[in-house]
Amino acid sequence: MMKVTLRNLCKYFQQIKAVDGLNLEIAAGEFLALLGPSGCGKTTTLLTIAGFYKPDQGEIYFDEQLVNDLPPRLRNIGMVFQSYALYPHMNVLDNIAFPLKLQKVPKSEWKARAIEIAKLLEIADLLDRKPGQLSGGQQQRVALARALVRNPKLLLLDEPLSNLDAKLRIFMRAELKRLQKELGITTIFVTHDQIEAMTMADRIVVLREGRLQQVGTPDELYDSPANVFVASFIGTPPMNLLDAEIEVGKGDYRVKTSHFSFSLPKEIVAKIKYIPSHGVVLGIRPEDLIIGEGNIRGLVYVVEPLGRDELVTLEAGDMRLKALVPSRLRIGLNDKIEFSFSVERVHLFDKETGKSLYKEA
Amino acid sequence: MTKKTGAAFPYVLLVLVAAPFITMYVGFFLRAFGEGPQLGIFPERFGLSNFSFLWEPITWGLAETTIWVALANTILFASVSGAVVTVVCMLAGYAVSRIEFKGKNTFLVLQLFLHAVPGQILLIAIFFLLYYLHLLHKIPGIALARASLEIPLGVWMTKGFFDAIPWDVERAAMIDGCTRLQVWYKIFLPLVKPGVAAVFIWGFLFAWHDFIYVYTLLPGTAKLMSTLIQSLLATEVIDYGYLAAMSLLYMLPPLTLFVLLQRALLKVPIFGGKGI
Ligand SMILES: Nc1ncnc2c1ncn2[C@@H]1O[C@H](COP(=O)(O)OP(=O)(O)OP(=O)(O)O)[C@@H](O)[C@H]1O
Ligand SMILES: [Mg+2]
Repeated sequence: MMKVTLRNLCKYFQQIKAVDGLNLEIAAGEFLALLGPSGCGKTTTLLTIAGFYKPDQGEIYFDEQLVNDLPPRLRNIGMVFQSYALYPHMNVLDNIAFPLKLQKVPKSEWKARAIEIAKLLEIADLLDRKPGQLSGGQQQRVALARALVRNPKLLLLDEPLSNLDAKLRIFMRAELKRLQKELGITTIFVTHDQIEAMTMADRIVVLREGRLQQVGTPDELYDSPANVFVASFIGTPPMNLLDAEIEVGKGDYRVKTSHFSFSLPKEIVAKIKYIPSHGVVLGIRPEDLIIGEGNIRGLVYVVEPLGRDELVTLEAGDMRLKALVPSRLRIGLNDKIEFSFSVERVHLFDKETGKSLYKEA
Repeated sequence: MTKKTGAAFPYVLLVLVAAPFITMYVGFFLRAFGEGPQLGIFPERFGLSNFSFLWEPITWGLAETTIWVALANTILFASVSGAVVTVVCMLAGYAVSRIEFKGKNTFLVLQLFLHAVPGQILLIAIFFLLYYLHLLHKIPGIALARASLEIPLGVWMTKGFFDAIPWDVERAAMIDGCTRLQVWYKIFLPLVKPGVAAVFIWGFLFAWHDFIYVYTLLPGTAKLMSTLIQSLLATEVIDYGYLAAMSLLYMLPPLTLFVLLQRALLKVPIFGGKGI
């Protein structure tokens, strides 16, 4: 098991700052997800850690060793690419055993180890096939087997699940998580799918335009997003974000939107660092909305059944809000309803900087 | 009826255009296998006497050689040339496809420019170059010079093959422990195998057909097929049947190579699909 430390890591492509001042410590044995929208620098970060790109600034440490100048082949890393990148001219066995053969491991040994890892990943019956004769899911497992066969100290996964169909993806999510814990290999997992990150990772790093937005456990990111970007990126359906203002009275903080207002409970007031003069963004998670009771009036704009739940879009004044409610409410289009929300669970952000107004936990 | 004649018209036209060439080829074959006086392109009778060079020495003026020596020389010349073109282009093509270095684009443009320069212009310079390198009058030395004419375009060709291989495959190999050279011969060469064959054959054929380099840079006593046929043409009495038979033999190896490998040559490596 190996610890990985990134210090002020920067990688630029001409004007584009693909990775911009990344500071990160990845604990030994940790499963870390790099999460962010397309083009935010996830792959670049991974390729820089793997040694394909030289950082323009900053350092990469494996345990205490500075590895900036170590070529990829000496880094003892396993990597699964988004395209899997199997060697088309070799059969599955040779693909898996390739890293061992390069190390001049004797044939009896590489064969045994390749078969062992193939069994672990349930692809032992495919060993004679060429990559072109495999399904996407099988290719993905071969790629994983090849990455794991030489017991790497660090495993890098670049969107390994994105080429799979929805069902297989959910299945592999669990398999991968289990495998990672069993083998205990420090793993960095790149994804743009927040559900994948939430379900699999010990900690999530949210990136945007090459800059780190927040690091934390899935719960931390969900419960206390550090800024508007993280708040809108984590959670499905995403958080409702409304323009608002805070009015300070005697011992009373009132949040006013264009359509409704409410007093902040004491617990929240205690968390607030400061009150910006230029307005705030109020965040309410869809599941914190309560429909059918309360003093805010609205209209049902659309109802999307999700099986167990229903996603209701409400129109209230000039705002639209999404609410996640139990299916049995049976609400119809254009119904007039009253609603409220759990005030103790709201989020507040600085409208100008987008940063959370809450003190860090 | 009119419809039918209308449809036949292009064929008639094509046959008319092709007729002189077809006649020439047919005449060429008939000559090679004909004996006795000719009636137009038709010989009096057929036989193998024109192929006497296969078992008799060949003479011109006071010199003499055998067909087997000339053939061996030609094969040596073409093979060395083809091999040099292949090795140099495969290495250079990889470099310009995958490695960033200063002046890469200038280098590539220069290659195109070099390709545009006719080989004959370089003859004198190459003569002196080979002379100082002690390679003049030696078949492998001349083959080296001949190869250099094909390398500029070959680099572009092989670059194209390597460009088609996804970066991730190369990165995977490097993660798995390959050095750059190992990536090249363990992953890239096998993936562009048909390309390797194509480049070799291409280098081989151009050298096989070469006349001017062989003629100017080799001593008159060392004959390759092309120069041998030329010296027979230069004698006072020209035996056309004999020449046709020898030319047929000269044509045979490249033709065979082409027929044997044409399917492989058409199989240009294609990537895509399920992440390969
Ligand atoms: N080789 C390159 N040359 C120039 N720009 C690049 C290169 N690779 C990436 N970029 C740019 O750097 C930024 C980050 O790219 P990167 O591939 O890391 O994004 P990503 O987060 O992996 O996106 P995706 O989810 O689409 O894979 C993008 O703006 C991209 O255009
Ligand atoms: Mg990417």
